[in-house]
Amino acid sequence: MASQFDSVIADIISDAPSGEITEIYEDLIKIVGESAKESILEAIEQYNIRNCIPIEVEGKQIIISEYNKDGVKFIDPITAISFSVDHLNRTGFDIGSSDISLSSVQEEIVKNLNEYTASDFSGEVTFGVYPIPNEEDKTSIIISSTKYNASNFWNGEWKSKYIFDSSSNSLEGEIDVDVHFYEDGNVSFKSNKKINLSSVNDAVSALKEVEVEFEKELDSSFSDLNEKQFKSLRRKLPITRSKVNWGKAIGNYRLGKDAAQGITN
Amino acid sequence: MNSEDSYDAALDLLRRLNPSRLEHHLKNLIQLEPTLAEDLLSSVDIPLTIKRDPKDSQKEYLCCDYNRDADSHRSPWSNEYFPELSEQDLEESPFPSEPLRKLEILFNDSFDVYRDLYYEGGISSAYLWDVADDTSNIVRDFAGVVLFKKSNQSSSSWDSIHVLEATFENDNEVTYRITTTILLRLDKDNSIKLSGNLSRQTEKTVTINASNNADQINIAHITNVGSMIEDIEYQMRILLEAVYFEKTRDIFHETKNGAVSTEQKNKTAHEEIIKGLQSL
Repeated sequence: MASQFDSVIADIISDAPSGEITEIYEDLIKIVGESAKESILEAIEQYNIRNCIPIEVEGKQIIISEYNKDGVKFIDPITAISFSVDHLNRTGFDIGSSDISLSSVQEEIVKNLNEYTASDFSGEVTFGVYPIPNEEDKTSIIISSTKYNASNFWNGEWKSKYIFDSSSNSLEGEIDVDVHFYEDGNVSFKSNKKINLSSVNDAVSALKEVEVEFEKELDSSFSDLNEKQFKSLRRKLPITRSKVNWGKAIGNYRLGKDAAQGITN
Repeated sequence: MNSEDSYDAALDLLRRLNPSRLEHHLKNLIQLEPTLAEDLLSSVDIPLTIKRDPKDSQKEYLCCDYNRDADSHRSPWSNEYFPELSEQDLEESPFPSEPLRKLEILFNDSFDVYRDLYYEGGISSAYLWDVADDTSNIVRDFAGVVLFKKSNQSSSSWDSIHVLEATFENDNEVTYRITTTILLRLDKDNSIKLSGNLSRQTEKTVTINASNNADQINIAHITNVGSMIEDIEYQMRILLEAVYFEKTRDIFHETKNGAVSTEQKNKTAHEEIIKGLQSL
């Protein structure tokens, strides 16, 4: 039963930076008390699945998502295992075997993703390739790269996820970037881009191209936002190029302006 | 659970959750724990809202917790609350004492000029309040807030909030303590959102000629506070530029650096080595 209380908790959790979920869990317990533990953990479970969070299973990072959820457990077709998840600590347990395996097209995707993620990602990178049940031509591809640096008050996250359809050769998905910097404040940078490609034969080379392009776009957007939007909000120096003459004389700016307007009128 | 713990936890949460939904999360937290309402509303800086002063040509003024009484906000221009309060309510409403109101008018006039020079538009408001019952006509210790807001056509906005305290150390020396928060939101076609707030504190002790008259002392206060705020905003603007456009971009590339050319990678590696050597 989703009460109003549960939906407020879920709303708060849904906005958490992925590297700070334990801190947010502890804060919430301090505010609402231990009795809310179940409600918070339930929200974190939903969060982990929706945000494709990597889980540590026997020393390996495995992404969980709606596509590799199997009842109450999750599966990893690459290593052919199934596991349960401790969602707060992001670790797997109760590990068993799974008979869900990858097709040859999917095996090829895994091989190419291994190469691509090793060369283009600088964070803790991991990926998932999951067959979609009952739709044998469709494959879910998820890449997650994170760099958490709590001691320097920042966390960064890259996540891209796609559905590749090998019969229609389409690649659909989105990229999400989330950066949080919280030293003496709280600064967040978020970006999202939807991807919709057709005539895709090689899924990995297509998504690589899109992602490199997206990265370049972001870099130029930063300078664009700085040069245009930020500058238009507040100048570095007044138009007069000198600091304000405070005190009684400040009235002269008004007189000067009025006089100038008087001339142009 | 003691209330101080839950207050600190609430502040920690607000420092972690998406700053572009700050007002929303503030409401969420108050809904979860209503006893936090007063403390949170008085200590968390949210984007300033705007009202118009019907007693002064509909001139816009800025609203925050410091000029609020019930659902009304005092205008710095006419010194009245809008929506208007009843006679009875007004007896309880906070107003600056007469000598402090003089200084408040001077603050508003001066910061209005400053706003025009730096923001080329936008809105400014300053509110002062007495910190002790003082019957003298010369302003002694006081506190206040100086506010600026500028938005542009897109959904980008800048809000400066300077909370200040002026304390006389002795007859001739005043210490000004200013806590500044700047909330900055930048948005590019909804595909990029940079938002957040950064704060810092500044303190300065200045000599004032005690034999001056009230007007001269007021001029000294606005000169001191004005140039401090001007310096703080200059420094903060540099900091915002560094954090919003360089730091967040660098952090992003800590997750993905596929577009970075080999040349740049080598350069970064080189810089890292130099840094490593310097820190030895």
